[in-house]
Parts: sequence; C-alpha cells; structure tokens
Amino acid sequence: MKPLRFSVWLGLLWMFLKVNLLSPSGPASIGLLYKEAVGKIMTEARFVEAVGFSNVLPGSEALKLAMFVGFAAGGIPGVFTALLGAILPPTVMMLAVAAILQRFQKETWLDGFVAGLSPAVAALIVIVAWEMFRASTRKKIDRRAVIIAALSAVAFWIEIPSPFVLLGAGLLGVFIYGRRSYG
Amino acid sequence: MDQLFQIFWLFIKVNLLSTSGPASVGLLYHEVVGKMVTESQFVQAVGLSSVLPGSDALQLAMYIGYAVAGIPGGLVALTASILPPTIIILGVTMVLHRLRREAWVGNFVEGLAPAISVLMLFTAWKIFQKGGATGWEGWAIGIVSLLAMFLKVPERIVVIIAALVGGFFLS
Repeated sequence: MKPLRFSVWLGLLWMFLKVNLLSPSGPASIGLLYKEAVGKIMTEARFVEAVGFSNVLPGSEALKLAMFVGFAAGGIPGVFTALLGAILPPTVMMLAVAAILQRFQKETWLDGFVAGLSPAVAALIVIVAWEMFRASTRKKIDRRAVIIAALSAVAFWIEIPSPFVLLGAGLLGVFIYGRRSYG
Repeated sequence: MDQLFQIFWLFIKVNLLSTSGPASVGLLYHEVVGKMVTESQFVQAVGLSSVLPGSDALQLAMYIGYAVAGIPGGLVALTASILPPTIIILGVTMVLHRLRREAWVGNFVEGLAPAISVLMLFTAWKIFQKGGATGWEGWAIGIVSLLAMFLKVPERIVVIIAALVGGFFLS
C-alpha cells in the first residue's frame, strides 16, 4: 500500500464530487466518469472491465464503479477517497431535503404532489424493470431468463417473502447458466 | 437502538440482493411499506432520489432511514448500504484475476435480474394502486410518464412535472 500524494488525493476527491453532483444515478454517471477517467487514470479496457464488474456484483453500482476507478488511481487509499467523494453529495442533499419534507407530511399540497408522483414513479419502475430484463437477456429474449421471470412471478403471487425469491432466482441462475467466464 | 439495528440489517440485506438503486425499489417496498414508513413516504423517497443528483440507492436508503429514526437513522441506512459493496470491491480488487474464472457470481446476478424485474412490476402496480390518484387522472399521468420515459425524456424532468401536476390539480 503506497501512500497517496495529497494532490492526487484532492484531484480524485474533486472528480467524484463533480460526477456525483452532475449525475442523478449510477448508469448516468458512467458517461461522465468515462470522460474524466479514461486516458488519465486508467485505460479504456480497464474501465470497461470496471463497468462490467459493477453490474455483476451486488450493491449500489455507482459506488462500485467509483471504487474501481479509485483503486486504479491510488490503490486502497484511492478506494476510500472515491467512496467519500461519491457519498458526500447525495448524503448532504438527501438529509437536508428529508429534514425539510418531514415537516410538511400533514400539508394537503404534499398529498397532491404524492398523488401526481405515484403514477410517474410507477412508470419509472416499469421502464427500469424492462431495461433490466432486456440487459439480462442481452437484447434477445433468452428462454432461461423467461423461465426465471415466470417462476418468480408465481412466487411473488403466492406471497413468498421477496428476499427468498431473489435468493432462489440467483441460485437458479448459478445452476442453469452453467460455467461461463467473465472479463 | 432496536430500530437502528433493524434499519442496519434491512439495508445490508437489500444491498446484497440488488445491483443498483432502481433495482432495490421492489425489494425495499416489500420490506418497509406498512412496517416502517407509509406508502406516501415511500413514493416521496423514490421520486426524490431520482430527482436529486448522486446515487439513487443511497438517497433512497437515507430517506427511509431518516423517516424512521431521524439523522441517526439516515446515517445507519447509509452505512449499511455502503458496507456490502465496499467489502466486496476490496475483496475483488485483490482477487480479481481469480474471480474472472469464477463464473458463478456472474450467473447468480444473471439469475437475479429477471426476478428483480418481475418484483419491480409488482411494486409498480402496488404503488400505482395505492397512490391515491387511480381515476382517469392517475392513468393519464402514468401513461404520459411511461411514454415520455420510453422516448428518453430524462426521468427527473418527468418526475418533477408529474409532482407539480399533482400539486396543482389533485390536492
């Protein structure tokens, strides 16, 4: 573990603060991060590899991508710097907004907001679900993905607790997708 | 204290079983709505986290943590959401060359994806049904939003407009 020079540290922190202030979510941050990191911090091939791993491993993808780039820039200390830069903007903003909103829970205009928000949020979830399903089948409908989807639909329908269903689907994936190499 | 521990465990679990912010919505809904937060608070959390810049997953977690137990709740939710990916990344960067040959991790997530998609559809329907506006106004907002996002209008713009329309016409 080599010590991180202060200028490198500051540059990294600033980069991630910027990316996380300008992009609303993980997938959106990939484009920005690409421009900031490729050629300067890491090669294109390593960046693509980092994106691949962020999609494959559990947990927030924006954080994982940030940590991969941080590692390439400055080893383990780089990982923590990237993490700090990625966490600070959403934390400060969300806690401030949450604190303000909790005071208005009894106001009627908030009910109106939520009434308008609900259908849009439902639509947003449908879109993301569709994109996720398509990505998992690599743009063409894969029989195995359809089977897993159908089985999970039945499981949710008969109200099996969702963590168990997801765990089961993952394990099913391990068996029916067989051995395949990544990277 | 008991409540904080509950929040901690909840977000560890959610972050081990989903790969991104939007994907965690389905699981989170089943785990918290009715138990820790109201339907309305959950919709606010999802809406806000897609509007504010920065990681959706973290914002969603913090909003729910805050709604349940104030600032300590928000920070506990944040910590629990960060821990699984951090530990995994630290591990992965050390054994990257070995993990490449371990396809089962990738296959696990590959199997997870269709199930999460289905769970999200169930959740979307529940949120829509209980959101209050299920008359023609609700359907109109929902269908227009769906079309707009399908045509690649940025999500946060759609969400903000829907909330404003609701604020003016549905209250």
